[in-house]
Amino acid sequence: MPMTSTADVVVIGGGVIGASVAFALARRGASVTLLDASTPGRATSASAGGLWSLGESLGLGCGVILHTAQQGAGDGPAPLPRTFMDFLWTSNLRFPSLAAELRTLCGIDIEAESATGLLYLVYDEEQERHASRIVEWAGSDHGSVEKWTPQHIRDRDPLITHDLRSAIHFPGDNQVNPMLLTEALKRGACAKGARFIAEARVRALRCSNGRVVAVESDKGTIACGAVVNAAGAWGAQIARLASIEIPIHPVRGQIICTEALQPGTLRSNLSTRDCYILQKAHGEVIIGSTTEYCDFNTGVRYEDMCSLAAGAIRAVPALRNVTLKRAWAGLRPGTPDELPILGPAAELENFFHATGGFRTGIVAAPLTGEVVAASVLGQTPEFPIEPFLAHRFQFLTA
Amino acid sequence: MSHSAIVIIGGGPAGMSAAVAAATQGLSCTIIDEGFALGGQIYRKPTNPERAPAPHPRGEQLRAEVAKLAQQIQVRNGDNVWGIFDELRVAVTSPDQHTELLQPQAVILAPGAHELVPPFPGWTLPGVMTPGAAQTLIKTMGVAPGKRVLLAGTGPFLLAVACQLVDTGVHVVAVLEASSRPAWLSLPLHGFRTPKILAEGLAYLNKLDRAHVPVRYGRIVVAAQGETELNAVEHAPVDAEWFPDNNRIETEQVDTLLVGYGFVPRVQLAQMAGCNLELRPDVGGWIPVRDRNLATSVAGIFAAGDGAGVAGSLVAALEGQLAGMAAARFLGAIDEATFTAARDPIEQELVRLKPLRRALDKISALQPGLMSLVRDDTIVCRCEEVTWREARAAVDAGSTTYRSLKMTSRAGMGACQGRFCWPFLSRLVAAEAKCSLADIGPPSARPPLGPITLGALAPQAQDK
Repeated sequence: MPMTSTADVVVIGGGVIGASVAFALARRGASVTLLDASTPGRATSASAGGLWSLGESLGLGCGVILHTAQQGAGDGPAPLPRTFMDFLWTSNLRFPSLAAELRTLCGIDIEAESATGLLYLVYDEEQERHASRIVEWAGSDHGSVEKWTPQHIRDRDPLITHDLRSAIHFPGDNQVNPMLLTEALKRGACAKGARFIAEARVRALRCSNGRVVAVESDKGTIACGAVVNAAGAWGAQIARLASIEIPIHPVRGQIICTEALQPGTLRSNLSTRDCYILQKAHGEVIIGSTTEYCDFNTGVRYEDMCSLAAGAIRAVPALRNVTLKRAWAGLRPGTPDELPILGPAAELENFFHATGGFRTGIVAAPLTGEVVAASVLGQTPEFPIEPFLAHRFQFLTA
Repeated sequence: MSHSAIVIIGGGPAGMSAAVAAATQGLSCTIIDEGFALGGQIYRKPTNPERAPAPHPRGEQLRAEVAKLAQQIQVRNGDNVWGIFDELRVAVTSPDQHTELLQPQAVILAPGAHELVPPFPGWTLPGVMTPGAAQTLIKTMGVAPGKRVLLAGTGPFLLAVACQLVDTGVHVVAVLEASSRPAWLSLPLHGFRTPKILAEGLAYLNKLDRAHVPVRYGRIVVAAQGETELNAVEHAPVDAEWFPDNNRIETEQVDTLLVGYGFVPRVQLAQMAGCNLELRPDVGGWIPVRDRNLATSVAGIFAAGDGAGVAGSLVAALEGQLAGMAAARFLGAIDEATFTAARDPIEQELVRLKPLRRALDKISALQPGLMSLVRDDTIVCRCEEVTWREARAAVDAGSTTYRSLKMTSRAGMGACQGRFCWPFLSRLVAAEAKCSLADIGPPSARPPLGPITLGALAPQAQDK
């Protein structure tokens, strides 16, 4: 058996959330060990990196589970609670300074774009009604969410289909490279003294007197003062090692990606009824994504590849002749109310959750790292953590 | 004919033999091959018969056998099989971007292998290519790859290509074989039961001798020189582990360098279909796990030929026959007794070929010295132009699996999905991180395996 080591805090999960929590902890001077299992299907690696604090929280993508649950009401996707929109908005505002900090600290450019914006394309009358509600929900405290005319859209992005009625523009809903963000946070944490252990699958959590005292992984056992569960879609499995139940379910997202096109071919991030479309700094265009329950299956379906392609061509007809490079899938950590599960577990005094990021893990990562780190160290989080406590699901798991 | 019972992927010796065997039992088959005609690399058919050398007689014979069974065997040339989805659904796109989902009752994978090239300084210069690429130019068009050519690597394929170059009138400067001369001299000891193959090899050597082409054993290429294209090659003698003696480097002025250190099985479709893989460096790396009847771990999928472990065209043809019969039995077209009666002679022949094959695998087994050639600025992933410095930084930061290395360095993230770079990059990473190739794993295989456009998929979308 590999040797035993010690750490103030062990963070389980090397995706964007785990890396961000580890970075925030290390920055506060805690000794941190970050464990990663590099499991296929990690949501971080299947993310397009859209920072859509407004679009997602207003029901373009998030809201689908609730919508399915409420189907029959006929109102279309609903917005998530205001407090969550505020959380994402606050987190999103961190990216410019975080990008600068990480570039200085570890030389990685996380490709945080500042003026991309998100356009929600409106094809028909039914969507038009939904769109009006979105503008209403958005209010005016988060920049000006506004309706754009077809002419305005064409002036900005001439390749977008002319066959549409309007679009909603979300300023500030930009994008980042999710893999580089994760890597930079990880290396940033290490630069601040954290230890990273790759390919370390957690096998057991050793508990004693209402506390976790050690994490047993196949790369060794680590005695610890606290544990953060940042295992994403596998969050429920990790919690179960400490006999804790949390309602996390993998929600598959399949995405397809094109060959690299001239950067700037698409200036805006696009969201449509069928899919989202965005061009990354390397030039590849990412088209995603499905939202489906299928356990831990990370396969890709032919039918879904075809519908994503059709949806992309409808929005940007010139994509018809573009070569597809790859299709893959990730498992987002979904919760019943689509809000993350953050902060202390009621069952063990030094076990903390940082999972349930569903479709917004990337944009939520900076603030999630900060509030969870503060909570672990007994400090007051800068954003109230109460709405996100696992406790809210007590009625489900009791 | 559009709904064949068996889809065979690959039209080389394994695929053609499999189709003939299954069709003879009355089963309908579709062979899908990316080439313009059946034959695969080894039996490639000329497109320009006036200039290209005459095709191999064994290939002509197999093509004729397939043609005779045209009632049962549909041949789709130029088509791209880019994915296998659940329930044996095979996605195929034709050059005009028409996409179809075939749903056979059995699939025989016979995709062959691709060449193995180690990264070394200068290996991305124009003028450096694989022996197989040069062979394709000669076989299809009768076109020479260059004027002064040096071949380097290991294995009898180098000799075969050198002879074809000589026949085309190219000046072959030398053939550098990494393994030692004594190792090669031991070959007749293992090949006495297969004298014809030994004779074929000897004929290559004699031809090169007559053409005054030196075959130099125990030497490898250590660097290629040139500003915008290749103009010289540095090579050096090696020890038993192929570590070069850099004090004895010789420089050769050439315009073309052909480098090949054997072959890697093309296992991506097997992987995509969910077949279990095992690591077998002696036959080229990761291969699908197969039972005695060449069935993979997924019911209804069989694998034959170099794509399931590199063993050459004779073994491929035999395995193809066996896979064709096994698929026929799987589909109930023949009974157990008929199957066993067909299998016995095939197995005997495979056993006869084995000692020579094993000896060749051993002689050409990659040695660690080959991994010592990369410099910090040598590109190790050609698609994404990732240097060894960048890849090693990712390894030092804890990335040792294909997945994590890809995520952090972009190595393997290009169109080839790591097929080309990973066989060597994985060895470099293993050496750097002091872990095993098995720990590092094969590159993941994702659809589409070959290029298709979004427009080729969109018409198949079902309206919601």
